[in-house]
This record gives sequence, structure tokens and C-alpha cells, in this order.
Amino acid sequence: MHDKSIPFEAAIKWIKKETRDTATYALKVKSRDIQKGYRFIPGQFNMLYVPGIGEAPVSISSAPSDQDLMHTVRVAGDVTTALSHLKAGDVIGMRGPFGRGWPFEETGGLDILIVAGGLGIAPLRSVVRHILRTKKMAGAHSRRMLFYGAKTPKDIIFRNEFPRYREVFEVLLTVDRADPEERWRGETGLVTKLFDRAALDSLRTIAFVCGPEVMMQTSVRELILRGVPEERIFLSLERNMNCGVGLCGHCFFGPKFVCRDGPVFRFSEIEGLMGIKEL
Amino acid sequence: MLKQKLKKEHLGLLFDKLKVTHGVLGPKVENGVVTLAEIDAHDIPSGYEDHQQPGGYRLIKGERPEIFSFSIGPDSFKRFLQPPLREVFAFRRAAGISITRPGAEQRPLAFIDMRPCDLSALKLYDRIFLRGPVRDPYYDSLRRDSLVFVLNCLYPNDNCFCPSMGTGPEATDGFDVALTELSDSFLLEAGTAKGETVLAGLPAGEVDDSDMREKGARIELCRKRIKKFIRAGELPGLIYRNVEHPRWAEIAERDLECGNCTQLCPTCFCNSTYDALGLSGISKKSYQVSGRRMRKWDSCFSKNFARVHGGNFRPSRRARYRQWMSHKLAYTMEQFGLPGCVGCGRCITWCPAGIDITKELEALKSAR
Ligand SMILES: Cc1cc2nc3c(=O)[nH]c(=O)nc-3n(C[C@H](O)[C@H](O)[C@H](O)COP(=O)(O)OP(=O)(O)OC[C@H]3O[C@@H](n4cnc5c(N)ncnc54)[C@H](O)[C@@H]3O)c2cc1C
Ligand code: SF4
Repeated sequence: MHDKSIPFEAAIKWIKKETRDTATYALKVKSRDIQKGYRFIPGQFNMLYVPGIGEAPVSISSAPSDQDLMHTVRVAGDVTTALSHLKAGDVIGMRGPFGRGWPFEETGGLDILIVAGGLGIAPLRSVVRHILRTKKMAGAHSRRMLFYGAKTPKDIIFRNEFPRYREVFEVLLTVDRADPEERWRGETGLVTKLFDRAALDSLRTIAFVCGPEVMMQTSVRELILRGVPEERIFLSLERNMNCGVGLCGHCFFGPKFVCRDGPVFRFSEIEGLMGIKEL
Repeated sequence: MLKQKLKKEHLGLLFDKLKVTHGVLGPKVENGVVTLAEIDAHDIPSGYEDHQQPGGYRLIKGERPEIFSFSIGPDSFKRFLQPPLREVFAFRRAAGISITRPGAEQRPLAFIDMRPCDLSALKLYDRIFLRGPVRDPYYDSLRRDSLVFVLNCLYPNDNCFCPSMGTGPEATDGFDVALTELSDSFLLEAGTAKGETVLAGLPAGEVDDSDMREKGARIELCRKRIKKFIRAGELPGLIYRNVEHPRWAEIAERDLECGNCTQLCPTCFCNSTYDALGLSGISKKSYQVSGRRMRKWDSCFSKNFARVHGGNFRPSRRARYRQWMSHKLAYTMEQFGLPGCVGCGRCITWCPAGIDITKELEALKSAR
């Protein structure tokens, strides 16, 4: 098996600018052998490596059945800036896939609710596309909903894909604020506002939540208030990650290794830890 | 398993035998402390006594008749099996990326004086780096052919609390050979076939009941000399119930965040990986670059340890200290099924502020 501490080469096949600071990179693993053995589930992430700069954990934003392996990256600091300077044909390093993904197997027969905030849509897009691409999956749920909140209309990622999502999902969007000239017709306010609009059948709902930590906390609170069982709420956490495989200690969240036991957690598993400041 | 005695004057023969195949690591005095180094039998600082207290260590020539008359210093197996700084790979980026991994041509190591507490830490290391979901190939390459001679303790220092953690002063398993220093000889007990092979060929004295009784009595005496205790039976609950205890803030006021404890702790394993570029690594064509990816010990006391872009999950010293102690006394058990504190007391001795983990735990027990 490939040593998980050594990156392998991945060529940038194409880059698509999503918003002012975010772009999607399609990567092609160069080694045939590694590519053949490479399997992931939505919610898992890779460590992307720019030699000389460093590594960053980035969720896979495509579905396993997609032809291209995609990552959607926002420029934040050193590594993500270096990535943004690259062009199609350039080669980067990659390690992965790492972590525990979204539990598809638990969604059968239930209403699936996807709640995304900002860039948190990236690992959830993998879920959405997976459902779109596998007809069988689409039929497996009684109802499918996607709630997405962004800062402004300009910050909505994958906007051009939403018409397709709407064929299978009830899609509700909200932004923190919209300038009048943007002619925004969706909601303004927090994602949690959208819960009122959807009339959830709480006991049949399974929720996948990803976004900034505060947004996840308020979303979970709202879901619980509405009676969604804690065992059916899943969140994807962000922490500092260095090794990706549970050997470096940076991602500790109480006794959990976020890189290995997560990043996707069942809320009931981490409930006791969520409220503790600076854990 | 094979059991035999070795006359004290024959200890050199054991070294000679091991040296053929292994780098033999044992105790040696350097800068006034007992450290570990590649040594010969005559380097062992026999007759020295270490006096340890919170924030203090003193080595003096004493009266004890044993060869191993001292306890542990700051050093442990850790820096030999998981070096403080090492190269993960060398890289060169031009059109593609080429990666070269360093060869592992190092001689295997024999630890001649590993104490029972450290052996417990080694077991934890094995669990983390060999039996976790991902094996650490570098650790594996160093560990695979190593030999572990555990030395049952006769003299603890004043900061030892191994009995509380169930790790010492006697080792019961996990070693290749266990040594116990008796009055006129060493009792050698093999724990593995590898250990038996080493013992074969040494001048062997027969072991009788009185030797085993002497071993028992000597270890019992050591146990009686232990001065520190913790309420291990109340762990991990004592930690989990007290995450918001005011004591954490109070410790943070004394804590200097030097990170000594994490560096000396034989179970601390946190690390960071980064790219090191030499000046020669940067070419005029900016895309071309070469350098080495390095892995270094890190510490949860580092301010940036839990930093992410746009924030820090543990900005306060209070939270960082709590993280360290909680990892030692609660989380590790959950993560790896073994205690993260082995009771060696190094963090107490080498803390310049004299913070004593046994006392702090006791304080958590007291009313808020
Ligand atoms: C599981 C997971 C999935 C993620 N998915 C995505 C994604 O799909 N798209 C995206 O754009 N971003 C994602 N992120 C965030 C992304 O990893 C950070 O934005 C990135 O690491 C910032 O690195 P930088 O060098 O550009 O920033 P800098 O500010 O220069 O570096 C930040 C420092 O924090 C360290 N660091 C370690 N882990 C993180 C972290 N999680 N966040 C920020 N800094 C970190 C870096 O090593 C560096 O030392 C994800 C993070 C995690 C943990
Ligand atoms: S803690 Fe126990 S095993 Fe470790 S040196 Fe002290 S007495 Fe020996």
C-alpha cells in the first residue's frame, strides 16, 4: 500500500474560478496504480501539497462517480495562495483520501437535509452530486433539501449548478447581505432562518451540516429544537491538520482526532465536547 | 523463558556481544545529568545518586553499592526512535515533483537500561506508530530490530509515581530481557526469543529460589521508597468533570509555557511537518524549487499548535495547559487504550516553575 505520509503527483487538469477568492481545481493522479486504488466517499479530504510552501487539508468537492477529482479552494494564506497562482498542466502533490465521510448508508428512506454555510458547501457538493448521479440514491430518500447561506450573492459557490440541483432537491438560499443592484430575490439572514420555510418532518429528517463553527452550532441548536434526533445530525469539523492520519496531534478535539475520527461526526458523539470553549 | 545470572564483573561481556550487531544505548553523565548515549559498561555512572524535586535535579557521588544506583534522567528512548528533527523526504519541483526518501542505514539499537515506566511509554508508542490505522514506516524501521533490556528499579527518585499508574517499579512484559541488580550479580530474564538468543553464550549462573526472593525484596523496597501518588482510579472522570475548574486558570499564571514537559515526556508524540528550503533550493525560474520536508517534535504549548486560518482553537494558556494534562490523564486512554502518563515524574523535575502534575490533579479534586 502507498505510504500515507508521502505525497503523490497530481496534475491540474483544469481550474474554474467560482467566486472572487475561490476556484475549483480538477486533479488527475499521475500514477496509474495509485489512481486505480484511489477510492473516496463524500466528506473525505486530501492534503494538497505545493512543494516549498506546504500542505493544506481540502475536502473533495466532486462525487465518487464524477469523472474528475475536484477540490474547491478559497484563498486563505500561504498554501491556498500558492495554489491560486498555478495553471492547468502544473503538478502538485497530494495525499489522501483521509477521514470519515458522510454516512450515506443511514439516509435510506429518510428526508435528507443538507445545510451549508460559505465554503462548507464544498464537501456537501460531493453528496449532492452523488445523489444526482446515482438515480437509485435519488429515489432512496422521501425528500431532499439543500439550505445554503453565503455572505453576499457574489459569494455563492457553484451557482450555475443550482438549476440542476433543483431538479432533485428543494433548494433554499440566503445571504448575509445583498446590495440593491444585485437584485437578490432569495432570503437574507442566517441559514437557520431557512428552517422555518421548509416545514421539516423532524422525526424523518437526517441532516448533514458544514460551515463555520458558529453557523454549525446554531444550525444544530435549531434542528434539535425542531425535534430532529441528535443521532441523525452530522457535522464536518475544521481543525488544524498536519499529518492527516492521527499521528501529529494538531487536530485534537477532546479525545477525538478530527482527521481520523472525523471530520464528519455524529452530533450525539461530540455533544459533550461542543459546548466547551477552547477545547 | 530463559532465566540466568550474570556476575557483575561480566556486564562488559553483554555489551561486547550486543555491540556486534547493535548500537548500545545506556546511561552516561553529561553536563551533570544522567543522559542516554552509546556507551560501554564502564561509562555507567555507578555510585551516583540523583536527587530530584519539583523543578530540581542534582547528581552526587553517593554511598549506594549498586552499579545502577541512580534513577532516570531527562532522556528516554523517545529521541532515538522518533528523532526531534528528521527528514521525511527530499523534493525537487520542476515540470513534475520528484520525491526521494532517506535511506534507513542506521544500526539497530539496544536499550540497556530502559526503566519500567519508559517501557510502558514504549508500548504506547508502538500502539500509536505501529498498530494505529497508519503505520509510521520510519519508526517501524528503527523499532523493528531494536532490543529492549528493561531494568527493574531499586531506587526511585522523589518524583516517581509509577505504582499509581501501574507501570513500575517492576516490568512484567514487553521487554526482550529484564535485568534486576542483585547483591553480587544481575538476574537476567528473557521475555522474547530474541532476548533468549542474546543471553545464550553469556557466562550463565544458575538462578535459584533465593535469587527470586532477593529480586522480589529489592523491588518491594523500591516500591516503599516511592513518595508520590495520584488517584489514577478516578481517571479519566476527574479530568472530564473538571474542564471548567478554576485551578486551570491558576496554573496558567505559574506556567511558563517552555514546553519542557512535552519534550521530556516519554509519551508525548505531537509533531509538525514543514518544508525547509536552502538558499540553493530556490532557482531563478520561480517554479523550480528543491528542499527537504522535515518533521519536528511539536508541543501543544506552542501558541500556533491549534491555529487555523482566521483563528486559534486554543488561544489561552489556560486552555493549552488543560489540553496537555487532559491528553496525558484522560484522552490517551480513550485513544489508544493505554495511559498517557506512566508516572516517570520527568515533567515535575524539569518544570522550571516546579508545576507538579500530581498536586494539580489533587487540586482538581478539591472544591471549586
Ligand atoms: C477537513 C478540512 C477540510 C477543508 N476543506 C476545505 C475546502 O474544501 N476548501 C478550502 O478552501 N478550505 C478547506 N479547508 C480549510 C483549509 O485547509 C485552510 O484554509 C488552509 O489550510 C489554509 O492554509 P494556508 O496555508 O493557505 O493558510 P495560512 O494562514 O498561511 O496557514 C494556516 C496555518 O494553519 C495551518 N492549518 C492547518 N490546518 C488548517 C485548517 N484546517 N485551516 C486553516 N489552517 C490550517 C496551516 O498548516 C498553517 O500553518 C479545510 C480544512 C479542513 C480541516
Ligand atoms: S517511575 Fe518507577 S519505573 Fe520509572 S524510574 Fe521511577 S521507580 Fe523506576
